[in-house]
Formats: sequence, C-alpha cells, structure tokens
Amino acid sequence: MKPVIEVKDLGIEFYRGKKRRMSLREMILQGRNTAPKDTFWALRHVTFDVRPGDAVGIIGSNGGGKSTLLRMIAGVLIPDEGSVRVRGDVAPLIELTGGFLGELTARENVYLAAGLHGLTQADISARYDEIVDFAGSQVKASMEMPFRHFSSGMQVRLAFSLITTLDKPIVLVDEVLAVGDRSFREQCYVRMEKMLSGGKTLFLVSHSEGDLRRFAQRGLYVREGRLVADGPIEDVISEYNDYSDEHQ
Amino acid sequence: MSGMILVPEFKGLMANRNVLGTLVRRDLRVRYARSVLGYLWSVLDPLAMSLIYFLVFTLIFKARHVGNEPYFLHLLTGLLVWQWFSLCMTETSRALLQESRLVKSTNLPRELWVVRVVLAKGVEFVLSLPILVIFVAIYVIRGEAHLNWTLVYFPVGMVLTFILATGVGLILAPITVLVTDMARVVRIGLRMGFYATPIIYSVQSAPESIRRFLIFNPMSGIMELFRSGFFESELGRRAVVISIVLSVLVFIVGTAVFKRFEAPVLKEI
Repeated sequence: MKPVIEVKDLGIEFYRGKKRRMSLREMILQGRNTAPKDTFWALRHVTFDVRPGDAVGIIGSNGGGKSTLLRMIAGVLIPDEGSVRVRGDVAPLIELTGGFLGELTARENVYLAAGLHGLTQADISARYDEIVDFAGSQVKASMEMPFRHFSSGMQVRLAFSLITTLDKPIVLVDEVLAVGDRSFREQCYVRMEKMLSGGKTLFLVSHSEGDLRRFAQRGLYVREGRLVADGPIEDVISEYNDYSDEHQ
Repeated sequence: MSGMILVPEFKGLMANRNVLGTLVRRDLRVRYARSVLGYLWSVLDPLAMSLIYFLVFTLIFKARHVGNEPYFLHLLTGLLVWQWFSLCMTETSRALLQESRLVKSTNLPRELWVVRVVLAKGVEFVLSLPILVIFVAIYVIRGEAHLNWTLVYFPVGMVLTFILATGVGLILAPITVLVTDMARVVRIGLRMGFYATPIIYSVQSAPESIRRFLIFNPMSGIMELFRSGFFESELGRRAVVISIVLSVLVFIVGTAVFKRFEAPVLKEI
C-alpha cells in the first residue's frame, strides 16, 4: 500500500523576528528596509512516511518544530525545501473554532463551517443531529443563539464534534485534547479511539505522554528542527525523557 | 504561458465552488444579519453621494457641461459601480489578514479568499440594482431618458469589473500581509482613483489632452459599458477594448503575484 503521508527532505525557513513586516514609508523615505533579515530553519531534512491506519505521535520541546510540521502536512504552510505529499482528505483539528463567526447562530455556523470542509448542505443536514448530540445537551439547547454567547467550553465542544464528524481518512490533531472538562475530554478520547479503530490515520502533536501512549503506536521525536528518532512510541518517549533529563 | 498560470487556479476554484458559495453566503449573512439597515446602507451611500454631487455640480457650480443627461442617473450608475470596485479594493487587501484563522486552519486554494470578497460585493451590487431600475423607470416615464439596445453591455461590464477587481485583489492581498502600510496606500489610491475615473464626469467631456490618459484607466471603458444602455454617446470602442485588455492583463499578473508570495504570506499570518 502507498503511504498516505510522504514527507521528503522537508525544510522551512522563518525570519527570526516574529514579524517580517516591511514598511513602504520606510523603504521610500529612508531608502532602506529595517525588517529583520536573519533567518533560521524551523525544520530541515525531515523525511518519513505514514502508512494508512498508522497512529503517529509527535514529541518534542516547545519551539522544536512540531506544530510547523503538522501545519505543512495540513497544507496551511508551504515548505521551502523538499515536499509533503498527502493522499486523501484531511480533517485538521488545528484551529478548532477557526471557521466560526460570533455574529451568527450556532446552527448557521455548523452549516457554514462544515461547508468550508467540503460538505454539501444535504450532507450536513444528514449529520446535523449527530454533531449536536455529541456536543452535549447544553449546546443542543442553544443552537439558535449567537455563537459568541457560547462559553469557550461550549464553542470548542461544538467545533470538535463538527470536525470529528467530517469522516475524513486522515486526522491531524494539534494539542486540542487539552480542552473541555474531564467528562467531555473522556468523550473525546472515546471518539478518537473509535475513529482509529475505523482505520483512520492519526497524526497527533501533544505534550501529554498519556495522550501519546493512549493513541499512538509510533513516535516521531523532533528536536531543533531535525527528526532525531522514529520508532515505537515507548522507545521514542524514553529517548525524549532521557535527553530532557540530561539537558536540564 | 498565461495558461500555465491560470489553469490550475481555475480548476482549484471550480473544485471548491461549494465552499466559495458557502463563503459568499456567510459574508452576506453577516452583512444582513443584524437588520435591514445592512441592506439600506449599501444603497443609501451611493444615493446620498449622487444627491450631493448633483446639488454641488448643478446648483452651486452652475456651469456644468460634463456628464450625461439626466445627470443624476449618470452619477448613480457611476457611484454604484465604483462602490463595488472600491469596496473590493479595501476588503481584498485585508482578505488574508482578516480571515487569518480560517486561512491557517483550512487547506483551500488561497485565491478563494480574494475571489469570495469580489463575488460577495458583486452580489451586493446586484441587490442594489433595483434602486437604479427605479430611477431609470422614473426618467424614462418622464421622457428624459430612453433605453438603448446597448443595455446588453451592462452584464459585460459586470464580468469585466469582476476580472479587474479579482486581479487587483490578488496583488493587494499578499502585499498587505507583507507590507504594513499598504492599507493606507490603498486608501489614498482609491481617493485619487475616484477622480481619475469617469464617475462624476464622462470620458467625452474631458479635454483631448486628458482623455488620452483617461482611457488607459481600465475603469473608464467599464463605466462606458455600464452606462451605454442609458446614454448613447457613452460607448467609446477604444476605451472598451483597452479596458478588456488591461483587465485580463491585471488578472494574469495578479495570479502570478499571488503565487509568488503565497509561501511567505502563510508564514506571516
């Protein structure tokens, strides 16, 4: 079987200052551009394959390039070197409430956000009850309210429910499991496990060893922009811990 | 060469036309969600401006020889079209920044964020047309205006406005992300563009020395297409041909510029 995610010699370079922002006024009046010019490679020479049905966890310290890697697989960042090839549709659990608008009602938001992920109106109508039921009775009772009146917990619940109902073969998760109260988190875990047992491919970025052990069989350890380990999740977690202990 | 740039973009947009429809609906719903005032604003603004220019140029500067008769109709057509175009400019230049959360979380062809603004503003333009129809009807009934067969060029003007506004938007959207004061430049440019476009006057009324430059404003020919159904003298073939060529050219350049800056823009937002 062909790999569903094929990453070859991947590299991406960022400007060191947070913003590169140039100013026309400065360029014209002073004839120079004071925007920062020094760069660094957030990721470089990263190569790996993911087979269908794999559950891969990414581990590494903050700023090591984990989320950058996830975003390039999601196609929302474009690499400067190498390539990412993804076969199949992706359900990105990245900015969960990204497609939601505060002014509109929760119901309108469900239709619009699911539409953005490629579902037709009929698809959404068919899944509407499933989405709302999973989000819980509190959300269900408020579907005609403007979305901005939702508590942040309710917002995330509805968004998580929506994106996990999309039924895409590849699921990318960026530390969203840390949201919601304990009972909802448990519900999310159950749903993620169900998705995995249904043969979906999972790509998970997390700081929680518990989450990584629970969902991933294979681990990728990203450190300072390099892929330093790729193997069974337990081995990779202990390699990460050993390195962290040594360099404290 | 141009085909090499445009074909994949066009395919990407067609594959996502459902999403495009969703986004346009979303824009309109947000705009009209709160009240009918949302709709009223989009027609009140050009109406009020038409009235003001009409009063200023016919009552205060009594010696008006420019523009077509009825002058109010000339103004209203020009201002409605200009409103569509200028709103596209201000909003496409912000398109990627304003929707940065969506751009960062959905893998859609990024051109979509520009096209959706131009389309949504186009729908608002169409929704504001009943006002124009009412005034045309009033002037026709009073015998002060009549309709020509060239009214069929009205939709052609719409298509050209769409192509031109998308092209300029594809240039402005990425540059505004990378250059902080671009939004201000766009505002100044639009204010100058208002007078460099035959809105309160017509190309024919400009002296030859200025007309030579004026027809190289792609909006000149577009205005003539929109107005020719009401004013026979309006259709200057040279201006129309130039605006077709320029609009398509701007569109091709815009597509290339957008592709060129896509990767750095995604890192910035």
